[in-house]
Amino acid sequence: MAENVNGRNNHLYHQLNVSIESASLRNNGIFKPNPYVELSIDNKSTRKTDFVKHTYLPKWEDDFTVLVTPNSELVFRVLDHSSFLKDAVLGERSVSLGEVLQHYNGRCDNLELILDLMVNNKYNNRSKSGELVAVLNGLNIDMTQHGAAEATLAESNSGNGNRGTNTSRVLSGGIRSRMRLRGNTSSTSEGSPYIPAPSTRDVRVLLASDNQVGNESRSLGTSNSIANQRMNAVHPSSNTALQNGIVSPAISAVASGSTSQSQIATNGPSAAQLPSTNPNEQQIVSAQPATDDEPLPAGWEIRFDQFGRRYYVDHNTRSTYWEKPTPLPQGFNRMFVLHNPEYTSLITILGLQHGNDQIGNQRFLYPQQAQASGGVAATEEDDGLGQLPDGWEKRLQPDNRVYFVNHKNRTTQWEDPRTQGQEVSLMNEGPLPPGWEVRYTASGERFFVDHNTKKTTFEDPRPGAQKGLKGVYGVPRAYERSFRWKLSQFRYLCQSNALPSHIKITVTRQTLFEDSYHQIMRLPAYELRRRLYIIFRGEEGLDYGGVSREWFFLLSHEVLNPMYCLFEYANKNNYSLQINPASYVNPDHLQYFKFIGRFIAMALYHGRFIYSGFTMPFYKRMLNKKLTTKDIETIDPEFYNSLVWVKDNNIDDCGLELWFSVDFEVLGQIIHHELKEDGDKERVTEENKEEYIGLMTEWRMSRGIEQQTKTFLEGFNEVVPLEWLKYFDERELELMLCGMQEIDVDDWQRNTIYRHYNRNSKQIVWFWQFVRETDNEKRARLLQFVTGTCRVPVGGFAELMGSNGAQRYCIEKVGKDTWLPRSHTCFNRLDLPPYKSYDQLVEKLNYAIEETEGFGQE
Amino acid sequence: MTSTRRLQKELADLRSSDLKSFKDIQVDEANLLVWNGLIIPENPPYNKGAFRIEINFPAEYPFKPPKICFKTKIYHPNIDEKGQVCLPIISAENWKPATKTDQVIQALIALVNDPEPEHPLRADLAEEFQKDRKKFFKTAEDFTRKHSEKRPNE
Repeated sequence: MAENVNGRNNHLYHQLNVSIESASLRNNGIFKPNPYVELSIDNKSTRKTDFVKHTYLPKWEDDFTVLVTPNSELVFRVLDHSSFLKDAVLGERSVSLGEVLQHYNGRCDNLELILDLMVNNKYNNRSKSGELVAVLNGLNIDMTQHGAAEATLAESNSGNGNRGTNTSRVLSGGIRSRMRLRGNTSSTSEGSPYIPAPSTRDVRVLLASDNQVGNESRSLGTSNSIANQRMNAVHPSSNTALQNGIVSPAISAVASGSTSQSQIATNGPSAAQLPSTNPNEQQIVSAQPATDDEPLPAGWEIRFDQFGRRYYVDHNTRSTYWEKPTPLPQGFNRMFVLHNPEYTSLITILGLQHGNDQIGNQRFLYPQQAQASGGVAATEEDDGLGQLPDGWEKRLQPDNRVYFVNHKNRTTQWEDPRTQGQEVSLMNEGPLPPGWEVRYTASGERFFVDHNTKKTTFEDPRPGAQKGLKGVYGVPRAYERSFRWKLSQFRYLCQSNALPSHIKITVTRQTLFEDSYHQIMRLPAYELRRRLYIIFRGEEGLDYGGVSREWFFLLSHEVLNPMYCLFEYANKNNYSLQINPASYVNPDHLQYFKFIGRFIAMALYHGRFIYSGFTMPFYKRMLNKKLTTKDIETIDPEFYNSLVWVKDNNIDDCGLELWFSVDFEVLGQIIHHELKEDGDKERVTEENKEEYIGLMTEWRMSRGIEQQTKTFLEGFNEVVPLEWLKYFDERELELMLCGMQEIDVDDWQRNTIYRHYNRNSKQIVWFWQFVRETDNEKRARLLQFVTGTCRVPVGGFAELMGSNGAQRYCIEKVGKDTWLPRSHTCFNRLDLPPYKSYDQLVEKLNYAIEETEGFGQE
Repeated sequence: MTSTRRLQKELADLRSSDLKSFKDIQVDEANLLVWNGLIIPENPPYNKGAFRIEINFPAEYPFKPPKICFKTKIYHPNIDEKGQVCLPIISAENWKPATKTDQVIQALIALVNDPEPEHPLRADLAEEFQKDRKKFFKTAEDFTRKHSEKRPNE
């Protein structure tokens, strides 16, 4: 067929620039591949990128200029380069240029395609193996001529099934496309940055995707109708024929005649880029409502902007939308999260209050009767992310937008719980936070508009984006936490899953624990997200927040009190709390752990603080992070030292007599545990000690507390999905739960001792200058970095404890100025190298406290 | 039990090596985590008697060090009235899983024979030891005669 087309339509060759940028491949083997991309146009003129060594996230940034016809088929194949074997296909995807061109009215100007790569697995099924990002650029075809060409083509191929199969192949594939907005500077520079315009996220158009089988036909209809509706304006009667995909020569002739009108649309005033109901912009080609799946409601109309993008006009309310209007499912309410009244009026004037979910987010509350939910369960498909966590379900709105329901706690969200919080998106181009938008300056530089605060910035608000660029603290952005941003994400999820009305909890101070326990456990867990109304019996104060703050404070003090044996201090020198393996002395202990899980979730949900704090490994467990050998140090330094000794020394021939089994003692009872099957019979040797250390670590961090931890997390998850925490790391979780104390810097400085420095050393002077100039959050982090917790003892810094009793904050001169500061949390000691300047000290300190995971701490 | 095999081996080695200064080792075979034995010092003023000690091994031995306690009263700068002793080899900072109990006992005997007044547990005795050695020896010898156990036949 390709031969045929090319033979007949030689004059239709166009230059297209294809930039193959990057891919994310699914990790499914021991060896990382050496991926490269092979691009072929109509099964010939194959181009290849160089291969990238050993990675699942290759970046090529290779540009190719290829000759294409409007009907070309572009096949992208990702292969694994091998020096010895035949290169294996890691995934492939073909793109029908015609489809793309029709959708974008003949223009490929910085058009980004995200392609789902498919591969045949061993069961001979097609499954998704990754995603490829490619950008098409430099193509501008007059679609009216193309329409004519296609008509000719359709005619010539009318008896030929070939084209049909080609089309369906493209449509069966997941291709997401969006126009990168570079180059539209004329209009952008004119508008004030505060004017909300459809962001790139809205421009994303779903051509088709693997999972939405029912959507395929609609997508086909949509992409056809774009070109077709232009013709409709001239020749409405041909509508039906066009929808059926039968293009007659007669129509193509009419279409050619409409060139001049299309021209007007394309060259229209730049303001026309913004959908608007302004009657002065009537030169935009008006079209009849699409006759795809459902007709538009009365008073609605479809229009196209100068880029051929479709939008909808509601003449009833004089507003415009990118999204096709669809009725809300039964049992759902439409809710707008708009906090700034000023802003609300602004978008009302612009007539954009719906449709742009970046601004007025449509949120659906979980319906009271779960069975009445209008969403449709999304068909299970393999999207490469594995199974949804327990309790989650993926559903589709009537407009095919995917959302997620958590049945355990009755929450809904747009975010995929499997990837939530993984801000370093595979594509480095994840969705923007709510209320944000990307725009470009006149010079084409990208900037970001925060409609929440009505501010603009050049800094990408997405954490992890733009590695290498320096952030406000002078450290690479990748290492700079935007705790506030994460917190706002979390708060947003809380707000959007809030329930109306309130719940009353009545307690007596003397029996606070039991009263609270019974009332919290009696209620369905999700109801604990209602506003709280706490009453202390005999003190009928109105709870406008103050009373519940006190309740959280007192109750946390009570339930975590080691006296109840549910929690214990990590060790005699660490007053952070962890689950007590002996908690089973209370036969109901699991019920209590469920209660405490609910209670802690309530504290986070309602934004309250608790009195005591947990150990870092406990927070890590809440975040479902893997615990490492290093984590043992904070809770059991002796055990840790021995494990490290085993690791660092040759253990053969020193009579350790270690086997793959282990004992520990709870309440005088010795519990024996085999680290693996028949572990009692397997001796630990130099060869297998790595495995032993791994198993020991796992065991040490979970021994005797698995059931309790599990129930605690269950209780938590009944109120708030644990996935919501994934924006944070364990230190941030501590800050969120325990709050940030106002740190008394004078007290801190007074009770700090120095080794090989003195109070007048210039590094010490700089250090305190830094502490005083920075904000409280940073101070808390610095404290956390050195002492392991952001909390100061009740008696102030003078009572700071180390592993050998009282241990004041200590700064020691260690190393060279090229080193990073290190900390010894057991001794509250900061190793501060003799830096040469204040700026250097600030940079290194920031670096270390922002990124303690990889290095820094010892 | 995991630590059992190691302790059994150590116990057998210790018994067969027949130390001159550590005798009468008593271990309940049902609970290998507690050992008893007699320290027989060579140096004055402690060479007039014998001192019973108890060694307690934790369940996590050898990941955690054993603890040593004197059951016999002793007048010594490094051993307090409760029988607690400060022995660097079994402190949290110095402990290594490869350290054997006989090394621990050797270190203990050395400490009993030659007190270390620089790291005292009883500061008053340490001061006396350094300032008035004669008086210290006299008191310690009387104390030993009065409180210590009989030395096994030599």
